[in-house]
Amino acid sequence: MSRKNKISLSEEELVLALRNREKIAVEALYDMYSSSLYGVISRIIIDTPTAEDVLQETFIKIWNSFSGYSADKGRLFTWMVNIARNLSIDKLRSKDFKNHNKNQDIENNVIAIDEQRNTVYKPELMGIKDLVQTLKPEQKAILDLVYFKGYTHVEAADELGIPLGTIKTRLRMAIIELRKYFN
Amino acid sequence: MEDVKAYIESGILELYVLGDVSPAEKQQVEAMAQKHPVIKVELEEMEKALEQYAQANAVEPSEHQRDKILTSLVTNLADDATFGTKKEAIADNVVAMPARQTTNFYKYAFAASVALLAVSLVALFNVYNQLQRSDQQLVVMNAQNQHISKTVNYMNDELGVYRDTAYKVIKLKGPKNMGMTLAWSPVKKKVMIDMNGMHLPENDKTHQYQLWAIVNKKTVDLGVFDKSGADTLIMKQMRSVALANTFAVTLEPRGGSVNPTMSAMMVIGQF
Repeated sequence: MSRKNKISLSEEELVLALRNREKIAVEALYDMYSSSLYGVISRIIIDTPTAEDVLQETFIKIWNSFSGYSADKGRLFTWMVNIARNLSIDKLRSKDFKNHNKNQDIENNVIAIDEQRNTVYKPELMGIKDLVQTLKPEQKAILDLVYFKGYTHVEAADELGIPLGTIKTRLRMAIIELRKYFN
Repeated sequence: MEDVKAYIESGILELYVLGDVSPAEKQQVEAMAQKHPVIKVELEEMEKALEQYAQANAVEPSEHQRDKILTSLVTNLADDATFGTKKEAIADNVVAMPARQTTNFYKYAFAASVALLAVSLVALFNVYNQLQRSDQQLVVMNAQNQHISKTVNYMNDELGVYRDTAYKVIKLKGPKNMGMTLAWSPVKKKVMIDMNGMHLPENDKTHQYQLWAIVNKKTVDLGVFDKSGADTLIMKQMRSVALANTFAVTLEPRGGSVNPTMSAMMVIGQF
């Protein structure tokens, strides 16, 4: 199903090309990041056509406001995933979206989405099954709420009925586990 | 270095990387990262780990999205080429989610109560002042009322004196146009003097005028009176006398004398 020739550049090359408004940068950007970004968007917005609209809006916004990105302040993906998450949440909270989706349970769908869709596992992430076991369920629940669902840690604390301090600790532990796992 | 370690362990860096910080916190973290390379490395590693986590959880969008999105971006690119100067300088879009607004109702309710209390106090104060003024006016009016009714009484008395045929009206006269009027009723043995129509110089504090009746060449003391501008009395009743043929007024030391000082005779009148 995947396209044969996905364009891939190093992050520095991509940033430079985007800054120079090169056409190849647009394709590389899409090929390199669309599925990761869509992973976040589609966990917040269940409705596929709407999620796809938000993906398009995300790329347009990345492209149009690229001058606002600075490599000193962090990685490109961190900047982009924030845009994707914020646009998704804006859409979720917008009036006409709410009107069209009154009956949809938009809260707890992280697990549902993973069951429904074929999550794409990259070849370089062979040990993905280990990853699932690396994170304790309570760490994964909080990390996914904040990272994929766009909850603030305060909202996550409310939602799960867990003290703020515990939320912070678990987030930190989860990320430490991820670092151990990936490095 | 201990501070940096504590800062790293505080959990703020994780929230920063997850996009869950306020703009102020965001600036603070960025400033710390600039100052301490350790923090920068820490952030970089977290970002990498999360990026890989996102890749591990990636969802491939449907195939036709690629063309659709690339076309919209390339159209955008063409626009950029046409309008070369139109470089949008949109500010950093990585913005922390705004904290949930806590309700301000009680704050506003409290402010409103305080304002209402202040207004009420001012109003109360004003009403109190008005009441005080009204009270004062009432006292003044009462005094005036008493004064008027007194005056009316005196005037009635005076009228009575003039109407009563028993009274004889006698004019006492002296040099330099001095003079006064006296009414005497031999029947009622009453002597009244007219204080208003009196033409006498004002006496000082140490002297008073004294009225005498002369009965069979003997002088009878009928009392003292003052001539002053402020005197409100219209008719003053003096001591009684049943028989008299002459009345006279002398200026005597305050309180009066036993015998008149004849050299200080002011006015005299005969019946």
